[in-house]
Amino acid sequence: MNSSLQPSPVSVTNSEPPLIRRLLLAVALIFLTLFLFIPLAAVFYEALRKGLGVYLAAITDPYALDAIRLTLLSAAIAVPLNIVFGVAAAWAIAKFEFYGKSVLITLIDLPFAVSPVIAGLIYVLLFGAQGWLGPWLAAHDIKIIFAVPGIVLATVFVTVPFIARELIPLMQAQGTEEEEAAMVLGASGWLTFWRITLPNIKWGLLYGVVLCTARAMGEFGAVSVVSGHIRGLTNTLPLHIEILYNEYQFAAAFACASLLTLLALVMLALKALIERYTLKQRWIVTLEETK
Amino acid sequence: MMFRFRQPSVLPGFGLTLGFTLGYLGLIVLIPLAMAFTQAFHLSWDQFWHTVTAPRVLASYRLTFGAAFLAAVINTGFGFIIAWVLVRYPFPGKRLVDALVDLPFALPTAVAGITLAAIYSSNGWIGHALKPLGIKIAFTPLGVIVALVFISLPFVVRTVQPVLEDLEAEVEEAAASLGADRWQIFWRVIFPAVRPALLTGFTLAFARAIGEYGSVIFIAGNLPMISEITPLLIVSKLEQYDYSGAAAVSVVMLVISFMLLLVINLLQRWSRIRNGWEAVT
Amino acid sequence: MSIEIQGLHKRFGHFVALDGIDLTIPAGQLVALLGPSGCGKTTLLRIIAGLEMADCGQILFNGEDASRRQVQDRQVGFVFQHYALFQHMSVFENVAFGLRVRPRARRPSDAQIRDKVHALLELVQLSWVANRYPSQLSGGQRQRIALARALAVEPQVLLLDEPFGALDTKVRKELRRWLRRLHDDLHITSVFVTHDQEEALEVADQIVVMNRGHIEQVGSPQEVYDAPATPFVYQFLGNINLFHSRVHAGWVKVGGLRVQVPEHDAAEHAPAMAYVRPHDIDVLREPEDGDTTLAATISRVSSLGSLVRLELIQAPSGEIAEVEMTRERYAADPLQVGDLVFVKPRQLRVFLYNDPKVESPMHWSGDGDGI
Repeated sequence: MNSSLQPSPVSVTNSEPPLIRRLLLAVALIFLTLFLFIPLAAVFYEALRKGLGVYLAAITDPYALDAIRLTLLSAAIAVPLNIVFGVAAAWAIAKFEFYGKSVLITLIDLPFAVSPVIAGLIYVLLFGAQGWLGPWLAAHDIKIIFAVPGIVLATVFVTVPFIARELIPLMQAQGTEEEEAAMVLGASGWLTFWRITLPNIKWGLLYGVVLCTARAMGEFGAVSVVSGHIRGLTNTLPLHIEILYNEYQFAAAFACASLLTLLALVMLALKALIERYTLKQRWIVTLEETK
Repeated sequence: MMFRFRQPSVLPGFGLTLGFTLGYLGLIVLIPLAMAFTQAFHLSWDQFWHTVTAPRVLASYRLTFGAAFLAAVINTGFGFIIAWVLVRYPFPGKRLVDALVDLPFALPTAVAGITLAAIYSSNGWIGHALKPLGIKIAFTPLGVIVALVFISLPFVVRTVQPVLEDLEAEVEEAAASLGADRWQIFWRVIFPAVRPALLTGFTLAFARAIGEYGSVIFIAGNLPMISEITPLLIVSKLEQYDYSGAAAVSVVMLVISFMLLLVINLLQRWSRIRNGWEAVT
Repeated sequence: MSIEIQGLHKRFGHFVALDGIDLTIPAGQLVALLGPSGCGKTTLLRIIAGLEMADCGQILFNGEDASRRQVQDRQVGFVFQHYALFQHMSVFENVAFGLRVRPRARRPSDAQIRDKVHALLELVQLSWVANRYPSQLSGGQRQRIALARALAVEPQVLLLDEPFGALDTKVRKELRRWLRRLHDDLHITSVFVTHDQEEALEVADQIVVMNRGHIEQVGSPQEVYDAPATPFVYQFLGNINLFHSRVHAGWVKVGGLRVQVPEHDAAEHAPAMAYVRPHDIDVLREPEDGDTTLAATISRVSSLGSLVRLELIQAPSGEIAEVEMTRERYAADPLQVGDLVFVKPRQLRVFLYNDPKVESPMHWSGDGDGI
């Protein structure tokens, strides 16, 4: 423990005895090892167990490629939609005072509290063959459930809160002074948004996009219910993994899983980078202000 | 006194953005969610009650809520220790560990499910080690708990960590100067400050674990009455085209989830009042 | 440009921020809106700027109704309390912003913008920070950049919200003088909000004292200090001593002291408050004839630079009074704690309790935190 160069935030006189510190550190690391590090290592171990050939074959399999394509497509639709939603919601909530604001914030959080399975179910109830709009959709030959639109909708549902949640507190903290200053100087509302607000929220927005993308690509429960598991058509990568796993093609399943894991690690790295960058910025600003 | 929906402001776009927000939420979230309720009310009250209290359904509630509760409890304890260690103790590789804590948020649940099933099954790395002790994890209720611990691990860490970071060293030094020993400082000064965050983290973890599906189904074995969780039951009802039954069970889960959401909001408001506006975002 | 404000009302929910404001600000003046926090001064400033809309009432710029004019079209410069500099733009871009967002037809060329921005940075004596970012500036520098940015659009009115509030005492004093000089050079009609009486007294041509959403008094610094119109103004500007007293037939009686107050001729046995500034009191060793003095004991002597402050306990009532005198005067007769003395107010102002200007009975509050 004395090998680190980082200063401890709490003075030595004020900290626990070394034995307790070591014990707590050990408990934390053992717990993380059992539940985090071993699973992480296991994904790659299982994926490469049968050799690189099997690994490459699994991820270049046409069905796997179709699944990757659909996963990317649904994320590419869901994320921009939720960017627009998140920015609009944060603008309304952070820049204005109105009644029912806290209710609205709770409503935005709602998808977090709903089981993904239920998220899928409600779209089946709405658009499925037996659903409310089912007959009408069938008459007009529109397919939503067991088709791509259903998968996109389910993905949008589970990722609704991510960007809004990042932006609302950020924009609330920033207040409205800079926007007001721009308007006094003659800028229109639209110009003020592009030139002042957007640059101020870009890191928070990016952060939200990272979280939203990770979730959109990895969603399983909701997508599973609306997909119908048609290989090559309505299979996303997580669903493809399930099918391979249930067919006892473990190496192939883990090969695909390793792709998603790599993606998750990239997202975590991006997230950590953004955090470090914005933290540093904030730190400089507070330093300046205390001077 | 004239009633006003909002306070006037010179900033433009209120109607547009609020309208879009409400429309989007309505179309994507609220109207579809209402479908679960209308579908469930296709049943008579007796049918509804019969559906949501069938023995197999009751067993699934017990497992889902019991395992979610235990997982949240486990994560509250260990999550607090992890947050503590991450904030207060320097150790090599700390930044990496800190970043990896969020892995369960970023990792698709299906990946988590098959991986946990592989390592906790009787021939997996950990399952193999536990076999001589007579402990079976995969395909038992214990497996459900393991999966739920994994997916809800970051919540407590991430809610407690900022509060610990913001805790002023001076407060502890003041307590020490008044004669409190380390243990007293912890229980009387630090713990009360962290308690709201701990509760919020617990509730978030609990709420998330209740609805979890992807990671559990691979490791649970899904035996009716033993290791079948409620979301899986909803899926199997749906696969049997029992839409109303699926909706009825969903309504029960939704109502419980909404109540948890309410609790989270109240907790956050409470801690905001206690800590001043800036502490919780 | 002159500003005329007529019958302005504004409320936020149940809170009445402005309650019937009528005010005329002549062209070219530097006016201070002075009052405690929550008195509505910032709201009034924001309504003049067009950042808030009044519930009713009118604002005239040069006699023309500007109440419905959009904030972009009011041609005002506004300096925010926390400056509201655009964090992601350099100082140069901050100052240039107002010129760059003009419609193409009225937008100056890049070269013109560059010249103009540099001239403004020259004016605020900060041309060397043009390429820095706001986070790299000190508070005083940010303040001056905010001012340069507001001046870039050649405003007809300059509005400043607590312009020196976030600065430390020394920088505040410098900037105060600098703002006054700048105003003398530019002669833009300027309004600034402050809760600091010293700031208002030193910088402004006219002071508007506000309290609870209405105006208590408008006047030059001298007028509001020497002849406060209401007890509130008395208490808010400078230190005071308050004596509970009675007025009868043109005389006010405080303990054993009697002073003639012709303006209250009509009052009979009316309870009243008598205000005396600490520097308007003489301290004598011996009583004078004719009920013109009040006996007291010295309880504390403190030296405040060029002044000496005495704390006195009035003999019968036990109330505390404060007296300030110059160091020379004190040196001529150094009074000590415990000395029995007789105080004689040179100037005393009486307000009756039932006077409509008096809102509620107030207690002695010569707490000396003002200056």
